[in-house]
Parts: sequence; structure tokens; C-alpha cells
Amino acid sequence: MTVPILEAFVFATVLCGFFGLILKKSLVMKIIAMDVMSTGVIAYYVLIAGRLGFFAPIAKGPDATVANGTFADPVPQAVILTAIVIGFSIQALMLVGVMKLARDNPTLETDAIERSYRP
Amino acid sequence: MTELMPILAIAWAAFPFFVGFSIYLLPKLDRFLGLVVMLTSVAFAGLIFWQRSPQTFQLLDSFGVTLTVDTLGGFFILTNALVSLAVLLYCWRSDKTSFFYTQLILLHGSVNAAFLCADFISLYVALEVLSIASFLLVTYSRSPRSIWVGLRYLFISNTAMLFYLVGTALVYKATHSFQFQGLGEAPPEATALIFLGLLVKGGIFVSGLWLPQTHSQAESPVSAMLSGVVVKTAVLALVRCALLVPAVDPIVRLAGVGTALMGVSYAVFEKDSKRMLAFHTVSQLGFVLAAPPVAGFYALTHGLVKASLFLVAGSLPSRSFKELNKKPIAFSLWSLGAIAAFSISGLPLLAGFGAKTLTIKALLPWQEIAMNIAAVGTAISFAKFIFLPKSTDIKAPGKLKTLLPAMVILLGGLVVGNVVYPKAYALDSTLKSLVTIAIGWGIYWGVIKKVTLKLPRGAERLEHLIGVMSLSAIALSLLALYFIPQGGLTP
Repeated sequence: MTVPILEAFVFATVLCGFFGLILKKSLVMKIIAMDVMSTGVIAYYVLIAGRLGFFAPIAKGPDATVANGTFADPVPQAVILTAIVIGFSIQALMLVGVMKLARDNPTLETDAIERSYRP
Repeated sequence: MTELMPILAIAWAAFPFFVGFSIYLLPKLDRFLGLVVMLTSVAFAGLIFWQRSPQTFQLLDSFGVTLTVDTLGGFFILTNALVSLAVLLYCWRSDKTSFFYTQLILLHGSVNAAFLCADFISLYVALEVLSIASFLLVTYSRSPRSIWVGLRYLFISNTAMLFYLVGTALVYKATHSFQFQGLGEAPPEATALIFLGLLVKGGIFVSGLWLPQTHSQAESPVSAMLSGVVVKTAVLALVRCALLVPAVDPIVRLAGVGTALMGVSYAVFEKDSKRMLAFHTVSQLGFVLAAPPVAGFYALTHGLVKASLFLVAGSLPSRSFKELNKKPIAFSLWSLGAIAAFSISGLPLLAGFGAKTLTIKALLPWQEIAMNIAAVGTAISFAKFIFLPKSTDIKAPGKLKTLLPAMVILLGGLVVGNVVYPKAYALDSTLKSLVTIAIGWGIYWGVIKKVTLKLPRGAERLEHLIGVMSLSAIALSLLALYFIPQGGLTP
């Protein structure tokens, strides 16, 4: 019952981030919007992992089979961990680029930067 | 040999990364280590063609990594190996630091990995590593403008890849696996989101409008890598999806036709040589996508041609065709560019002719007219290169010496490539290609040369590019709902 509601919240987060990317003028705000969007995507993977149960998928002794079916799915978690690391490193790289640009364009407004660097 | 293949493939995919990072320890050996990596890739591609039996292996269980080694991927791997080798030789005597070679090798390695994998998550990792390496290569000069172009690239590709990840999650939800085949059983939204990511990443149709500025602002050797091989990673994934899941085949073919026409119509009116080449990449990827079963050979010939033309364009005295038409260029330089331009226009005796004939024969009836128009457009836009004024009296620029070894590999590949499809030399296809070129050159002299039309560049602004992504998502969803049989939203 609650899963569709959670799913709706997750997609709302993704869309908020996406609209932020379009509507925010400053480059730093755009990067933050992208982070919001990726948070939504990560939450979606966690939601999918928790479809069958919420227990950490660690088998403890012979009772492991008792809880069968209530474990969280480990695969999406493992996958999204990789994606988090990649997304984090890309954002770090972008922030370094923005810092370099900030020297010549202190306001970091996308329109102004785009106008000055158009070939 | 067959049993050894998984180990060989993994070792080969990991090798560039080991070498790339060990350059930090051995900076003096950078170029030689690069040469070893590129030659290993040539050897591996040779091995694939020698074996000829397609193999797919799964590491771990159904949700593990899936790798595919087949001749389709072999063509792409060979393209990557030859283009990287040519770029390496071109830069051999330049003053590039070992950082450049590290990034070049890492880029080469991540492109190889993307060509090898057959599941969505490995592909995601390969594509993201590749965008980091491309960013560092584009911004190699550290000028503010190059940093802006690189940032723009990361913004667009990272946003697209986030959509792609949502699509991948939907595939996993439906099939408990990340394999490409899962697309057939997943809901249509999954196809729409994954294709959105791949189309943006591959620079296809309206989602590919980021490509001209990125590829034309980079230095020539980097443009050659980006245009020659990097965009093909997403294209190969689309082609593989189309071959594995027949339901999505029409979407891929349609995207191919659309991008072929859009790219060529921009290229015809473009006055800047590097931007023209970049728009042309957008168009030529359409030829690769329009006929998925024969995509490999076309990708190979396009990669060789585009890399050689970017390297030649980097040695020309000016980037604007208007300037170039005023003063003749050295005959030797012209001839190198002209061979490549002849090949891509489809002139017999060069591999581009075989590839074009093979692709046109594999088209569906509804695609034929559009793709023939695109072929004429190709001839028109490359007439700009072919009819540049030249003279044998002018001394070749000093860059010609650094250009020559690279061109021997690229243009040699175009001549040797004829062996792939010798049946192309039938009377009707030879005549057809000659007529196409004649029409193209006629239109160039009759119309294009006299017309100056400046196409608006508004669509290339960052916000518009991201906005267009949402439009593409809607269009792809509609297409997916129409073409994928089970239909309906996920319950």
C-alpha cells in the first residue's frame, strides 16, 4: 500500500532535481539540483531493494532460512553503491571546474558564461 | 582457445587501466606504454575476427556482469584500436605531458570495456568512466572556454545517465537481471528511459546537439578520438539492443533516419570545418543505426575517416571555409583529406563505398529514400573539402611530418577495408554511388556555394539541451508504448 506512495515521492524528487537543472541560473545551483536528482535515483534503487523485505542480507547461523523471503535484495544496493561513487566523483570534478570558471565569472550565471565563451 | 576467451577478454579489458595508472610511476615511458596498449587491442580485435564464433559469458549469476565477444563488437574494437593508435602517433612528437597520455589510455580502455559488455550496469560504469576521461582530455589546455565546454558535456551526459539508471532499475525489477535481453520483458518506460540516456550519450538526433560544440572546441587529436570512437559506445549498445530485442528495432532504425537527415542538413550549411565534421558525425551515426545487422563495418569506416579528417583539419591554416577558399593549400595536405572525403562520400575503391552499399542493402523499404537523401547530403558537405583550392608549389606545413604516420594507419585501413565486402563492386551499386556523388557535387556547385545561410545556434544552449531531453523522453515513451507489444503502465 505504502510502496506506490513512496514511489511517487521518489519520482517527485527526481523531477524536482530535473526542473532545478533547467530553471536555476547559477552553475552551483545546477550542480546541487543534479545532486537532488541523483538522490532520487538512489532512493529508487533502495526502494526496489526493499520490495521483499528489510532485513540486511547477512545469513546468521542455521536460522537463516527462517527469515527467507524477508531479506532485502542485495543486488540493487551493490549496484547503486557503484553509481553513488561515480556520481560523487563527477560532481567533485564539476565543482573543481566551476571554481576555475568563478575566477573570470564571479556570478557563475550560465547565460553570461555561455555568451562570453560562444565561438 | 574458446575456453581461454573469458580470461583473455577480462585481462585485455583491465590492461589499459593498469597501464594507465602505472604511467604515474613511469612518466618517461608514457608513449611506449600507450603503444603497447593500442597494439594489444589491435591483436585482440584480430583474434576476434580469426575466431569468428560469437561468445557470451556471464560472470557470477544472472545478475552478474555479462560480456559479449563477437565480430560486431570486433569491428568497433578495431576502430578504437586504430584511431587511438593514430592519435598516439600524431601526438608522439608534441609536447603533451604524460597526464595526456594517461587520460588517452584510460579513455581507450573505457571505450573497450563499453564495447565488450552486454549488461546495463557494466555499460553504465564504462560510459561514466569514459565521460570523466573525455572531460579531462577536452579541458587539457585549461583555458576557461575549454573548461566551460567540458562542464557542459558533463552536465548533459550525467543528467542523461541518471535517466538511464532509472530505466535500468525498471529492467531489474521486471527480470532480476541487467542483461540487454531484459528490455523485451521490461515495461516500455524502461526502454524509453534507457534509450534517452543512450541517445544523448551517443549524440543522436535532437538529443545530440551538444556534440558539435564539444567536438569542435577540443584539440584536433581529442576531437578525432571523441568523434571517431567515443560516441560509438552508446551506438553499439543501441545496436545490440535492437538485435537482441526485435521489438525495439524500429525505434533504433527511426532514430538512425532522423539523425542522418538532421545532421546532414546542418553540415551542408556549416561554414566552419571542425563544426561541419562534428555535425557530420551526428549524421553518420544515423547510417550505423539505420541498419543494425551490418552496423560494425560502417562504424569502422566512419571512425577511420572522421579521425583522419579531424587531424587534417587541425593542420589547415584556418578553420573557416571562407578563408580556406581564398588561399590555396599544399597539395600533399589536400590529398590526405581528399582520400578520406572520397571514402565517406562512397567513391568506389575505398572502404566507405563497401560500407555504404552494405548498409543501403540492409535498409527497410521505408528508410531507403531518406537515407539516399542523406547520402547525397554527405557528398555535398564533403565537396567543401574536396574542392578546396590547392597548389603543388606551396610547401607543406611542418605538421605534415607528424600527420603522416597517423594517416598511413587510417587511410591504409580504408584501402584494406575493401576486403570485408568485395561483393559491393557490382555494376548497379557502383553506378548508383557515382550518380549520388555527381548529384551531390552538382548541388554543391549550383546552389550551396552561392548560398550563405546561417542556421540558428539557440538550440545548443545548455538549458535548451536539457529541456530537449524531456521532449525526447516524451517522444521515446510514445514510440515505446506503440512498438513494445505488452504495452500499458507498470501495475
